[in-house]
Amino acid sequence: MRWFLRRLGFYVFAIWVALTLTFLLPRLMPGSPIGGILQHLSASQLAANPGIIKTYETLFGGGNQSIWSAYVQYLHHVATLNFGLSTSNFPTPVSQVIAHTLPYSIVLVGLAFFISFALGTAIGMVAAWRRGGTFDSIFVPIFMALGAFPAYFTALLIMYFLGLKLGWFPIQHAYDNGLSPGFNWTFIWSAVRHGILPALVIVLAFAGGWVLNMRTVMINTISEDYVAMAQAKGLKDRRVMTRYAARNAILPPLNGFAAQFATAVGGVIFVELVFSYPGAGYTLQQAALGKDLPLTQALLLVFAICPLVANFIMDIANFLLDPRVRTA
Amino acid sequence: MAQIQPTTLEPPDSAAALPAADLAVEPPQRARRGIVPGWVRLLLGNNKGRAGVAVMLGMVALALLAPFIADKASATNFNILVTRQAPSLHHPFGTNDQGLDVWAQVVWGARRSLLLGFAAGAIATVLATALGLIAAFVGGIVDDVISLVVNVFFVIPVIPLLVDITAFLHTRGLLVMTLVIAGTLWSFEARILRGQALTLRNRDFVQAARVAGESTRRIVFGELLPNMISRIAAAFVLVFYVAILVDAGLEFLGLGDVSKPSWGIALYWASTTSSVLQGEWWVFLFPGLAIGITVLGLTLLLAGIDEVSNPRLRTERLRRHRLRRLLARPGGTVS
Repeated sequence: MRWFLRRLGFYVFAIWVALTLTFLLPRLMPGSPIGGILQHLSASQLAANPGIIKTYETLFGGGNQSIWSAYVQYLHHVATLNFGLSTSNFPTPVSQVIAHTLPYSIVLVGLAFFISFALGTAIGMVAAWRRGGTFDSIFVPIFMALGAFPAYFTALLIMYFLGLKLGWFPIQHAYDNGLSPGFNWTFIWSAVRHGILPALVIVLAFAGGWVLNMRTVMINTISEDYVAMAQAKGLKDRRVMTRYAARNAILPPLNGFAAQFATAVGGVIFVELVFSYPGAGYTLQQAALGKDLPLTQALLLVFAICPLVANFIMDIANFLLDPRVRTA
Repeated sequence: MAQIQPTTLEPPDSAAALPAADLAVEPPQRARRGIVPGWVRLLLGNNKGRAGVAVMLGMVALALLAPFIADKASATNFNILVTRQAPSLHHPFGTNDQGLDVWAQVVWGARRSLLLGFAAGAIATVLATALGLIAAFVGGIVDDVISLVVNVFFVIPVIPLLVDITAFLHTRGLLVMTLVIAGTLWSFEARILRGQALTLRNRDFVQAARVAGESTRRIVFGELLPNMISRIAAAFVLVFYVAILVDAGLEFLGLGDVSKPSWGIALYWASTTSSVLQGEWWVFLFPGLAIGITVLGLTLLLAGIDEVSNPRLRTERLRRHRLRRLLARPGGTVS
């Protein structure tokens, strides 16, 4: 239980760091961001939204507030999800833009990432078990090579071959034009079909990391005495591999889950851009390119917090899987 | 993308359980020392290490020879007379929608990527080694603070952070990007190196040096660093290629300087002008391959360093392992 509370404390701290980071970044950067933001808005737009300059000043600095009172107000703004108005989607509030785009990313990354974890560790397990065998010498180099190529390159390749040349799957957007999001089969089927290629890219890009990671740890585990003991007892090879070696080898990769997920969340920006997938990553790229600073600021916060939440879920899994953690 | 993970490196937790069979632990071969240093011979004796060195030498040669084999202007100056040409003798890698020569982009882009990756790797390595050693050696509150910072940076996604920072930046030159990228990537290295330094600190030979009354400075530089050198080298190579991936990625997103030739910018043009949708495969294939081959070369180098320093990962040791399993298997006889 103490372990659990310590982890919880770490997450609270990490979220606080993320908050402070997004608060300080615009204030540390050269030049005044606020002037850049106001350039995007016309006088009539500003007149129609009284108080918006004040909100921007709280979020980005400028004005004549002291930094401490600005910080307190900033935290209050974040707590009430008031990130101002997006300048590139004026006058839509930033929180609303995110609410429209984030669900696509969460479903896409969440599913694809768990598939890549399951697939990668399974391949790594078998590769380590039969080290030097055919399986090992075919799959490990393939995944190593795949991991070397940036996800956007894999995405462009897959888009070119599977999407354009073979025409198996749609290559742009999250659902067919003319459909409106809702819980009906036509929409869900369309969304699934549009999600396959982006998901495939994420799976391919990340499975390699899990394969190598699992293989390395597993090789060390295999030479443990309890594995030799299990074999000496005459247990089936498969049972020794999964229940004895893999069960113990999976913990380090599981601990690396957080960092991997943080990378995956970053990588989704590229995949979404290539496939024009209207998720949070594509929105961040568009916002950064269009200097829509309110939107980039809020999205950075979202991108920092998502892996923490995922990591917390993994900690619970770790808690259930590892008896050493439970008793600590 | 941006496979920012020490995949082939042991996670710090398991590193404690492993015997540190590092380069420096190998018996010194002073007698045989010739022109080639021992670690180079070790690395070249390993298949993966040799392949990695070969790939990187090729890339460096490409970057150095750039002025002789490709015209720099054709990589950055639009030329409407030669747009969208498939690979030919005149344009070996074809041209893109703006008439930029892809071959020139690839050759001149190698300079930027290698320079940036190397510099960012070096800066991050110095920073990470210093902080990792301080954390492990001083301990107490200093260690707590450094570890906390490192752990927090470990879970904050690098790409969105860098996208956000570059959105604020007014200039995105080579130097600025190198510093920004090194400043965000050092924490990965520090995490690895701190773990390694911690396990070494409690080793008998370090304790012995301490009891013998050696100064902290001598223990750090004389005992710890030489034993960590393979880890430091591995961490450097890791940041080297992650920096290349991250930099090209940011450029791909449109957050780069389009007036300079680079791999990321080449891919950015390929994606914004929808060359892919028009079936112009050469526009994205060659710059992408350039990144992939470089990163693959560095990954192989990393795997080579790992195998040389951690003999358990070597496949050559397989025979002994098979023998063990044969012995453990019921009915398995060894004559």
